Amino acid sequence: MQPVTITLNGREVSGHPEMTILELARESGITIPTICNEPHLTSIGSCRLCLVENEQNGALLASCVTPIVPGMVINTESPRVMEHRRMIVKLMLASHPDSCLVCDKGNRCQLHQIASDLGIGLLELQRIPQTAAIEEVNPFIERDMSKCILCAKCVRACQELVVEGALDYFQRGFIARPATLNNSPLENSECTFCGVCVALCPTGSLMEKKRVYQGTTKNLVNTTCPYCGCGCSISLEVKDNYIVAARPGKVDTENEGTLCVKGSYGFDFIHSPDRLKKPLVKVNGAFQETSWEKALEETAEALNLIKEQYGPDSLAVLGAVKCTNEENYLLQKFARTVLGTNNIDNSSRLYNPATRLGLGTSIGFPGTTNCLEALEQSEVIVAIGTDPAASAPRVNYAIKRAVKLRGAKLILIDPRRTKLSSFAHLWLRPKVGTDLVLLNSMSRLIIDESLLDKEFVTRKTDNFDALPGALEKYSLEYAETLTGIKKEEIHSAARLYALADQAAIIYGTGITQHPGGTASVKALFNLALLTGNIWRNGGGIYALQRDNNGQGACDMGALPDFLPGYQSTEDLQAKKKFEEHWGVSLPANPGLTALEIMEQIKAGKIKGLYIVGENPVLSFPRSDFVTEALSSLDFLAVQDLFLTETARLAGVVLPAASFAEKEGTFTNFEGKTGRIRKAVAPAGECLPDWEIILRLANKMERPLPFSTIQQVMEEIEELVPLYEGYLDSEGKYQNEWGFWKRRSHRWHSLKGFPRFSTAEYTPPEKKINEDYPLTLLTEAVLYHFGTGTRSSRAWRLQQFSPRIFIRINEADAKKLGLSPLDKVRIISPVAELTAAVSITGALPEGIASLPASFPEAPATRLFDINLDTETKTPSLKACNVRIERIDDHE
Amino acid sequence: MYERHILICAGTGCISSGTREVKEALENELIKHNLQDKVRIILSGCHGFCEKGPIFIVYPEDIFYCEVKAEDMPELVEEYLVKGNIVERLLYKDPTTAGTVTSHEEIPFYSRQKRQVLRNCGVIDPENIDEYIIRGGYIGLKKALGMEPLEIVNTVKSSGLRGRGGAGFPTGMKWEFAHRSPGDKKYVVCNADEGDPGAFMDRSVLEGDPHAVLEGLIIAGRAIGSDEAYIYVRAEYPLAVRRLRTAIAQAEEYGLIGQNILNSGANFKINIKEGAGAFVCGEETALLASIEGERGMPRPRPPFPAVKGLWGKPTCINNVETLANVPLILRNGADWYSAVGTEGSKGTKIFALTGKVNNTGLCEVPMGISLREIVFDIGGGIRGGKKYKAVQIGGPSGGCIPESLLDLPVDFDSLTAAGAMMGSGGMVVMDEDTCMVDLARYFLSFTQRESCGKCTPCREGTKRMLEILERITRGKGEPEDIPRLEKLAVAVKDSSLCGLGQTAPNPVLTTLRYFRDEYEAHIFDRRCPAGLCRDLLTYYIDAEVCTGCRSCVKACPAEAISGEKKEPHAIDEAKCISCGACFDRCKFGAVKTK
Repeated sequence: MQPVTITLNGREVSGHPEMTILELARESGITIPTICNEPHLTSIGSCRLCLVENEQNGALLASCVTPIVPGMVINTESPRVMEHRRMIVKLMLASHPDSCLVCDKGNRCQLHQIASDLGIGLLELQRIPQTAAIEEVNPFIERDMSKCILCAKCVRACQELVVEGALDYFQRGFIARPATLNNSPLENSECTFCGVCVALCPTGSLMEKKRVYQGTTKNLVNTTCPYCGCGCSISLEVKDNYIVAARPGKVDTENEGTLCVKGSYGFDFIHSPDRLKKPLVKVNGAFQETSWEKALEETAEALNLIKEQYGPDSLAVLGAVKCTNEENYLLQKFARTVLGTNNIDNSSRLYNPATRLGLGTSIGFPGTTNCLEALEQSEVIVAIGTDPAASAPRVNYAIKRAVKLRGAKLILIDPRRTKLSSFAHLWLRPKVGTDLVLLNSMSRLIIDESLLDKEFVTRKTDNFDALPGALEKYSLEYAETLTGIKKEEIHSAARLYALADQAAIIYGTGITQHPGGTASVKALFNLALLTGNIWRNGGGIYALQRDNNGQGACDMGALPDFLPGYQSTEDLQAKKKFEEHWGVSLPANPGLTALEIMEQIKAGKIKGLYIVGENPVLSFPRSDFVTEALSSLDFLAVQDLFLTETARLAGVVLPAASFAEKEGTFTNFEGKTGRIRKAVAPAGECLPDWEIILRLANKMERPLPFSTIQQVMEEIEELVPLYEGYLDSEGKYQNEWGFWKRRSHRWHSLKGFPRFSTAEYTPPEKKINEDYPLTLLTEAVLYHFGTGTRSSRAWRLQQFSPRIFIRINEADAKKLGLSPLDKVRIISPVAELTAAVSITGALPEGIASLPASFPEAPATRLFDINLDTETKTPSLKACNVRIERIDDHE
Repeated sequence: MYERHILICAGTGCISSGTREVKEALENELIKHNLQDKVRIILSGCHGFCEKGPIFIVYPEDIFYCEVKAEDMPELVEEYLVKGNIVERLLYKDPTTAGTVTSHEEIPFYSRQKRQVLRNCGVIDPENIDEYIIRGGYIGLKKALGMEPLEIVNTVKSSGLRGRGGAGFPTGMKWEFAHRSPGDKKYVVCNADEGDPGAFMDRSVLEGDPHAVLEGLIIAGRAIGSDEAYIYVRAEYPLAVRRLRTAIAQAEEYGLIGQNILNSGANFKINIKEGAGAFVCGEETALLASIEGERGMPRPRPPFPAVKGLWGKPTCINNVETLANVPLILRNGADWYSAVGTEGSKGTKIFALTGKVNNTGLCEVPMGISLREIVFDIGGGIRGGKKYKAVQIGGPSGGCIPESLLDLPVDFDSLTAAGAMMGSGGMVVMDEDTCMVDLARYFLSFTQRESCGKCTPCREGTKRMLEILERITRGKGEPEDIPRLEKLAVAVKDSSLCGLGQTAPNPVLTTLRYFRDEYEAHIFDRRCPAGLCRDLLTYYIDAEVCTGCRSCVKACPAEAISGEKKEPHAIDEAKCISCGACFDRCKFGAVKTK
């Protein structure tokens, strides 16, 4: 395209067509003040501060919305422009309150800044400040509409970025304001307290509330959020060694300036008084503080002793989905070379192996095949077994943006009504555990109706011939009987997916935590492969990860059967490569998975365990069994931020630094690495996990050859082909190029073409026991995370969502005589819990749901250990329970 | 066979004056005299002469009765329909000659007009498509269907038709932009969101001749290559909405809308969208947002609707009156059309004449007619023999024209040059009792309330201007207020986002231009020359008239009035707060102002 040349303040400058005057001015180094303009929001030209004069006709133009036209003669600072600009700021100030001295926004107030830049002193206008009540019931956001200057960034952020639609304009004229529906308080609206509006507000109108540490600072540390697998970029505001606030990272990063409530308000745990400050040793059943020297000595001695007495395979290591890639790399190296065992696993075992196996066998790399930006180009999106509004907010935003702003069609497959249901073009509600039948019947229909991408299937895939036969029995009628979904609906879903030029699939723990999850993942992959939706820009499969570094822990080989970069322990060539580089011989015995480790402890085969940043007592099924097992160990060392339920069982507790107190990288569910940076000094005597591991290795007299984290990164780059160049862009998020480069490694690791695999549905063995008539689903909640260790210590999250509720259907509640807030006992064949009742229309009859992240009532406890035969993943999604009301006098 | 047709006006104005009751009484009387098969009653659209409603015309004689009441029906039927005697007392009386006239063509209100667009209003039954067709309706469409789209565009272009919604943009040029805009889906939109206080031209056209608008829309659709139209009409116009729906149903039945209209192969669909009463939705981009289901707020232009309009598609938006002109142009040709009017403004313009004139109502005049003719000939002069002061043209976005400019030819360009604007055609006449500062304050309070709140100058600036004007009318004005007001007005006019804000200061600017002395009197002399601003009045008691009843003494909240019973009272000016309580209370007119 021809560049467009205009005259700007007497100088000829060129830009590309469609550029606005403002953009070109900025590019040319000319500053034009703006308030309502924000690069990643639609420009609305409402504040009018960016007015410039077209000297040819005297027109005043809002430069943020006016495209450049060849030959334009623009003056950005003509006397008329300056006079009007000053008048506009004066008008804003005339209705703004006088409270600047006590306003928390302080010098960061853009209105203040612009007024001072324009040299506005006294106002000749009569000042009549608006009055408004300050809204501050919720613990996160304080709204003072008297300070609002109606730039509408909050409205646009809410509608265009996070697509919650909680805010819009309200009233007209002088009293117009952004407000929720019916001007109700935020907590009664659609608001999810993501905090994006607060981060964008130019004045003190929207402020973060009740921060633990006050003060304004310009000291920002760019790092990566440690909660879910989205891996959003965040900026921590740091003052006096305290995290004062968190805000979305720079706009050019992955999350486009968005965060969720945890990312914005969930970091109080860093400065929690509950943090471990010193190493602890258990003496006569009670913990005593001790020095690092002694704690490490005791640990080293105990581990060495067990190794000598019972052999290296009597030791095991668990960790660490919350630790960095470098730490996971060190941890597996520690297990394999210092301890000499392959007994290492991480808690992504609880949800991820179905993906690893399902996708690994099909495409050669176990993980998401596309990046989230591409999702917004999809025409059709299938979301199955996931409620990203709670578990992966950024994915939720992307789906909603695709649907609302780009007209994508969403096929939602979930028995529950979730926040995505209202965005769905088709919403299929299968019976619990029948996803595979639905997916197979869709595949069969695509083949039967010749909707498949024949050229792609013939030329670029393997093993198609096995498919039609294997799908024989999955007719629409069969699927309708088993799934309970009308066959017409299955038919339209299959056609919609197959006929789209670009269609993506997103799945989460609703697929992987079911027994048979691997088969479902394969079936999903078959669908993508049949329609050629694997290489396309808006296609692909998105496998959501629960933890911030679930992907990285596996990539780094914190797995019993894989060396770093999914190089199999049985691949002799790979093994040799590592042995040569590490200068040791690697253990020959195959390792044990997480739950197998517990079983072997119980069986007395494993005597010593080293747990880094995991809390199996809460996160594993059958906590009674796990507790018993851990208590029976000869030696248990736990390394964590807090004295968790698991740490209490340990002989030695090692206090670790949080994500904000160390350096490293996390890998998100897309496979992109995000850098974390040290923002504050570690609490007390805490040390980063990597340093503890190195010191422990030293104490065991088998030192690992590293002294800085940088050296670890270099070895990863050298030995893990997937991570070659992962620090390219100065530790910032991987740029597009880096991302695709890494992606291409994944394809190369597969020999041949992506393969179809058959996936056979096996009906559940056990008949439903009449004593346990309800199906209980575990689910994620937005306001808490994981086992709740950190989120329950983020006091605003805790205050907003203080207690656990079991959600049950209206009809079931009626049958059981339950009313909202009633206390109930939830009884499964293995355990019972208490929770309060919330009655909902979102669940079908016979299904109840319980969030997993409340430490006082860990839903996982209700599950028996029921391992998937292929992946050894315990089933943690659905179990059968009965519910009994607890009467008040009990 | 009917011997007589009786047209009773069923425009909104006449309905509120009692058309329904008149019709019912007439029907009863006809039955009584067994005339129901000989006399046909037709409820017509607006005749324009709302001042004298309900209007009642008897054909074929063309006898014009006005201000008829249900009670008049027995006499009217008995005397006129049965005996043939004209009922003199119900005829129109010429206020200048005091004589009566029988035919509406002899009434100056009508004789000075050139009713082209309103040709059917008050003449046909708007709910009967046949009546529209008999009077030449849909001939323009038939012609247009035989023409190439660009030919239609060029015809409209050479007719010189300019948009009647306010800004006066050449319609043909607008059509050409939309025609040339690439896109397989395009929309035409009829802007019937008439919101100016005192304006009802569009409503009368929609109520009186809905098919003219539909025909115009279909032709516009043909010209730009669109197959779907929206009519955005205020929900406060229920009658117009109902008649539009009826008209659309009838046109569909006749194959004028729908698939393959008149076997031309072209399709056309017309939707109605009822607006919720926001003034700003008359602004085209806000109107489009409202149709899309969003809050009605203007968007920046460019992109112009002709490029990116409704749902992002090229869209052509025309006002009701503009569209009602189109069938005439197609039917009679561009030359015929452009024979009327001035150099830059062709055809006729409908005005809603209100305020202090004798004949309020709707009038259609050729472009270029002088303001004097409209006010004094058609309007019949100022009511009560008072002195003319100004006329506010173009509603709250327009400006006022003083006596010195009464001979100004009324067309787009001269009105703009005078600081006013054609606007949609509201024309409020003011006499010597109107305070021009108060007038500006009134119009600004309207635009202030109706500002959508999106852009800073309009939202904040109109509020501050209003505050200054309120201050001045309360007698608290400061000398700096006039320059301050001017500066604010220019800033709001120059820097606002949409037409609402860009024109909102016009009443202030024109009153400052033509009636600056009134502002100065308020500020420097603390005096309201029109005697309207209460806070600025000085009250005194005329001792000659005062009976000494003491009721004003009791009414005064400031204890400023003294006097013995049955003795004349007096007001202590130092204590008086000018609240006017004594003035309102006095039954004898003894409390006076100066």
